[in-house]
Amino acid sequence: MKIVLVTGATRGLGLAVARQCISDGYKVVAVGRTMTEELTFLMQQYPDHIVFERYDFSDTAGIHSLAVQITKKYGRPWGLVNNAAIGRDGVLATLHERDIAELIKINIEAPVLLTKYILRSMLMNRGGRIINVSSIIASTGFNGLSVYGATKAALAGFTKSLAREVGKAGITVNTLAPGYMETEMTSALQGDKLESIKRRSPLGHLATVEDAAYAVSYLLSEKSFSVTGTTITVDAGSSC
Amino acid sequence: MSEKLIMKEKIINIIIEIASESGWDILTNLNDDTVLLESGLDSLGFATLVARLEEELLYDPFSMMDEPVYPRTLGEFVKIYEQYAS
Repeated sequence: MKIVLVTGATRGLGLAVARQCISDGYKVVAVGRTMTEELTFLMQQYPDHIVFERYDFSDTAGIHSLAVQITKKYGRPWGLVNNAAIGRDGVLATLHERDIAELIKINIEAPVLLTKYILRSMLMNRGGRIINVSSIIASTGFNGLSVYGATKAALAGFTKSLAREVGKAGITVNTLAPGYMETEMTSALQGDKLESIKRRSPLGHLATVEDAAYAVSYLLSEKSFSVTGTTITVDAGSSC
Repeated sequence: MSEKLIMKEKIINIIIEIASESGWDILTNLNDDTVLLESGLDSLGFATLVARLEEELLYDPFSMMDEPVYPRTLGEFVKIYEQYAS
């Protein structure tokens, strides 16, 4: 059974990706800060297909050990889905420096380090899939999300150069750019704002986490072997 | 056989294995003065070498260093692994 590592898999998009990966026949190593009822339920349903590893990505110094331990316990991963992120919002002029540093650490430094070490297994396997979860905010912008948007654009840039570095080893690297989805992270987007996004979308609705997970499913599959260094946007057309 | 020779031999054997798996031509006479990037392995090949060595030796000296060091020759590369061997 191929191993796929999904970060931030305890809720929202990460949990939907974990569920999709199980349905696609992978064994999921779900990494997250705190166990949730939903993940517990998924683990009870599929005890042989998913394991949980507790980790807080604000501890970047421990990421190398985490990668070594995961590989030792479960084997060399086939796929890595860098989904864990925080979504602090606030206008830049008043966003605290500590919050800015935390956003950069968790949303970009941590996935870069995790990729560096998980990539080693893929180099030895001469194949693998890396999916960086960005956001349409990286290209469209959003009032109050300048630092968050910067980290997400950084991930998309990371994808492009890394795809060039590791392509010869049969490893693909792609970006998923979801639009506004109804998750805990976007729960601050209430009422009129959400309605306006729905109205403006060509399809007249928001994309769901399941929609985004289908795209991850494709990017993880053997069928996507000719797709690398690109971004798949799943936003019901909002940013077109 | 001394520790130094064992480490050097191990590293050279892995370089040869990686080159053969990837279909790369490498120098036949790898020695301490061989410049790594002129040996026939490219930067991706060296990343694979570091990964392979970490799996085998259970340590990665490059992530243990406080200051980054980028070895130029095979001799410098081997010395780093010897330094960090427990």
